[in-house]
Amino acid sequence: MIRRLVIVASVTAALGGLFLFGLLRGSPDRDIESARLNRPVPAFELPLYERYHASFGPTLDVGSYLGEVPMIVNFWASWCGPCYEEAPDLQAAWEDFGGQVLFVGVQTQDRGRQQEGRDFIDQFNLGFANVIDDDSSLSIEYGLFGVPETFFIRADGTLAYKHAGPVTYELLEEQVLALTGGTP
Amino acid sequence: MKRAVFGWLAIVLLAVPAAAWAQGDSGGVVELESRVFELGRQLRCPTCTSESVGDSSSAISIEMRNEIRDQIALGKSDDEILAFFQERYGDWVLLEPPREGIHLFVWILPVVGVVAGAAGLALLMTRWLAKARAPLDDVNDEDLARVQAAMKSGPDA
Repeated sequence: MIRRLVIVASVTAALGGLFLFGLLRGSPDRDIESARLNRPVPAFELPLYERYHASFGPTLDVGSYLGEVPMIVNFWASWCGPCYEEAPDLQAAWEDFGGQVLFVGVQTQDRGRQQEGRDFIDQFNLGFANVIDDDSSLSIEYGLFGVPETFFIRADGTLAYKHAGPVTYELLEEQVLALTGGTP
Repeated sequence: MKRAVFGWLAIVLLAVPAAAWAQGDSGGVVELESRVFELGRQLRCPTCTSESVGDSSSAISIEMRNEIRDQIALGKSDDEILAFFQERYGDWVLLEPPREGIHLFVWILPVVGVVAGAAGLALLMTRWLAKARAPLDDVNDEDLARVQAAMKSGPDA
């Protein structure tokens, strides 16, 4: 009799626990490992915002840098709150490490909102190149789950790490050191 | 009068094929959109919770449907289109897990569960039946005599 009670109570507790887990776990974790990890990332050529034309021309051809220098590719959108949070850290990291690593910002999942994109860039006075992925095809190509997401690409063109969510200066510094083989 | 008749005739002669063409064209659009939707239903929306690319109205799902449409226009098969997304997002993007590797558990486990459940139930029922059919050996003669007497006399006794 007691054995039966123990079995019924265990099964009920297990099912109840599973139900509560599903109920309370909130939004699903988006920090899923990229399918491109340790594989070469695709090259792309996209239009640049006007303020970068003097340095790069009207488009940025990432293919000419891939496999040559380490890169940090940050995807953002003008409607995305956490993108505003991380922008000052990205700008500060670019000021400190822009000579060692190519920083590229990609406005994506933001079709037709170039003016909002310009306002975003002006608000943080972003010095690193920012391109427009108007039809989000690059976002699909990189297997993006949402914005912001940041891809850390080795000098050989393979993906070292992908970070989902806003980045901090500390994380960027740590990743730059990992990409360049430097010491803090 | 003759002119008017010819005019009407010309309109009818032009309108019928035009209507047929329009009908045929919209049929093609419906077919295309159905295929886009069906493929979208097999892909998980990357930014949503428990929603497919076919059902979601998020920006990325709309762009993914556009990508599916472009690939159909290029003549790609359903498998090729699904493989395109799988290569970029991993197995996660497929709402129906592939029937290989670790994913086989998802397919095998329910079958194992049903078989184990049925076997357990069969075992329990066999035990219950065996118990019910077992002769009563701890009944004393006095009780047996009372039962037999009651059965003989019937319910009204």
